[in-house]
Amino acid sequence: MSATPKRMIPRLLQMALVIVGVYFGFILFFDVLLGQLIPKSLLTMYMVFVVAGVVMVFTFTEQGAQELAGPIKALVEDPSKKMMRNVVFVIVPLLAGYYTYSSMLLSFEAPVELRTIHPAPPNKFKAYGKSYNLTTLENPYRKFEKEDPAKFKELVKEGGDVYIRNCQYCHGDKLDGKGPYASGLNPTPLNFQDVGTIAQLQESFLFWRIATGGPGLPAEAAPWISSMPVWQDFLTEDEIWKVILFLYNYTGRQPRSWAHE
Amino acid sequence: MNNRRLGKTMTYINKLALLTLCSALFAAGPAMAKPGTAAKGKEIYDKRCTWCHGAEGDGKGAARDRLNPPPRDFTSGNYKIRSSDFEDLTPNDDDIFRMIRDGMPGTAMPGWSDILTEQDMWDLVAHVKTFAGYEKPPAKQVDYGTQISSSAESIEKGKKLFEDGDRCVECHGKSGKGSASKRLKGEAGERTWPRNLTKPWTYRGSNDPKDIFSRISTGIAGTEMPSFADPKSKKKLTVEERWHVANYVASLAKNDKKVNADNTVVKADKVEGELPATPDDERWGKTAPTTFYLVPQIIGKERYFTPSNDTITVRALYNDKSVAMLLEWDDRTRSTPGDDSAGKLADAPIEEDGVAVQLPVVIPSEMQKPYFGMGDAAHPVNIWHWKGGTKDAPETASLITSKGFKEIEKRDAKEVGLTAKSGYSDGTWKVLMVRPLATAAKDKDIQFVEGKFIPVAFAAWDGSNNSEKGSKHTMTTWYWLLLKPATGSKPLVTGLVIAALFLGGLLWWARSAGSKAA
Repeated sequence: MSATPKRMIPRLLQMALVIVGVYFGFILFFDVLLGQLIPKSLLTMYMVFVVAGVVMVFTFTEQGAQELAGPIKALVEDPSKKMMRNVVFVIVPLLAGYYTYSSMLLSFEAPVELRTIHPAPPNKFKAYGKSYNLTTLENPYRKFEKEDPAKFKELVKEGGDVYIRNCQYCHGDKLDGKGPYASGLNPTPLNFQDVGTIAQLQESFLFWRIATGGPGLPAEAAPWISSMPVWQDFLTEDEIWKVILFLYNYTGRQPRSWAHE
Repeated sequence: MNNRRLGKTMTYINKLALLTLCSALFAAGPAMAKPGTAAKGKEIYDKRCTWCHGAEGDGKGAARDRLNPPPRDFTSGNYKIRSSDFEDLTPNDDDIFRMIRDGMPGTAMPGWSDILTEQDMWDLVAHVKTFAGYEKPPAKQVDYGTQISSSAESIEKGKKLFEDGDRCVECHGKSGKGSASKRLKGEAGERTWPRNLTKPWTYRGSNDPKDIFSRISTGIAGTEMPSFADPKSKKKLTVEERWHVANYVASLAKNDKKVNADNTVVKADKVEGELPATPDDERWGKTAPTTFYLVPQIIGKERYFTPSNDTITVRALYNDKSVAMLLEWDDRTRSTPGDDSAGKLADAPIEEDGVAVQLPVVIPSEMQKPYFGMGDAAHPVNIWHWKGGTKDAPETASLITSKGFKEIEKRDAKEVGLTAKSGYSDGTWKVLMVRPLATAAKDKDIQFVEGKFIPVAFAAWDGSNNSEKGSKHTMTTWYWLLLKPATGSKPLVTGLVIAALFLGGLLWWARSAGSKAA
């Protein structure tokens, strides 16, 4: 057997450090940086692959495998490490027993509900007793933005009045999804200031979501518990189009359109 | 020589003035007044504030009649949160700045610091002051004396002062929940309610004793909350006494009625023997509470915007026969139709107080739940509805099975064994609802099962507030009810077996290694 080269950090410890590093890397990236808690089951699955991969890399050569197993073998076989061995022999069974015990205890945490934020829109939908084609539907007032800025400003103001009387309770004065009743709702209302919401959508999509509300969500839009009212019951078509103008104007965002794509 | 002496004296005074100015700035705290430009403030105001406060600052924005409390009328000159002397209504710039920066908890006014810069907010301060023509800073400030820090002794003194001669109790009630003994009015004639002091997260200006001290000293402009620093007041308090009262008020917080967003599961423990038969059974005190926000019903006709109930606290227990839920919420008025004294406090016509629990008829095995507003065609719900009764009729418990707003089947609560019992005391309702785990009508009633997450939602009615009745009520979205199964000894036994197996394996390995070495 070739002499084991001296290393700053033993191979076994290296391997453990890599695995722990990746684990905290996941947590840092998802939970802290993205602010999206990574579900435990998903993390466990990722970690199984990570551990398998790391073990494979570390045991790729025979020498590597021996170096890895060396300290473990020595622990069991080397009489001078008896004390250490006894300690390990107490700790390992206790850890295994505790892990089994705690994973068998029932979890009383609420089930995780994944949410589809922008469900795929249908081609056509019904509202106000007629059928709309989402691929051709356009905001009839959008053209005034260039043609008649004074009129456009007036329309935005009217949209704002509709918003403040109907939408701010949940979506907030600042359109940030934090209205006075937002915290009482699940799922929480959308934040229109966020680049991931209305800036990614066409005005026709907004019209569809506003007019038909939570009950109008398609089958794949889990978990079907949106509190969004069916606004065709309360607002006119005109009012919805004006509110849409206001949403983009106030947040300084632009709707996506077929023309730009 | 005289001149020289005078010069020396001047420098001395200058130094002193500078020192005083520095320490004053230092003491002013985080919001230090900076000059703002009213013209710039107007631009921001016209974009962000007019919706509620109106273009003229008179509180007549588009949202006005759908907000409770209504938006501030700046032309009135009344500011609720201020630190100037009680006789001088002029707020400090800091006071207005703080309201803009932090918002007003419990109202529709949000804090603006995340989308406005500090300078923007100072500009707004300058503009907002022009509506009431405030040009000069207030001449006198609240005298804080020396703050007395909170202690058992101070709280005890404060409690006495709070109760003496009905000083604070007159409006806020003995427990501080603001249980009503008289109707209060705001400056524009709108109905106002005394603060529920046990819910400090609804204080407009924080429950820091210093803030409470300011409110007690200045009163709250535009409301019936008077100044207790006013020497002409019969209920006047000295500076020291006001600190004791402030410490007492800060100590009233009831944190089990505060919503914890992470706790969305009502966990029912299994009990041996009988379930509690009354809302006041001492076992409820040992049961973990879960509190949810109540929001007004604004999704279906008639939409409702001016609620009074804001949270509901739920506890649950079960045995091998039935499940019991204790619903508790603060309601300043006991609404008994036909009762004269209740009628005087209520908005006419007075209606019964009520509460309801909503459960799916079939516990969903996957993610899809019934529509949270009374179910849907494919997913019916049970609604257990308690009403407080009238002067001539006792409280009632009723049961419906519904598939949405329009398809409602009235059921016989007695037949399925659904019962409700209530108690009202000093501003708090407690209603105990009990139902057997299983019923005969399996297609119309939920059959409770241990260990499953059962969607549950709640609703409440305050019959004294805007005649809440029918669809005019507050509600929650879906949360969870879990009948916690007794875990038994299985996990412990399996854990021990696994530990023993590991130990055996390790010993066997060591032994075989040892024999090889030998």
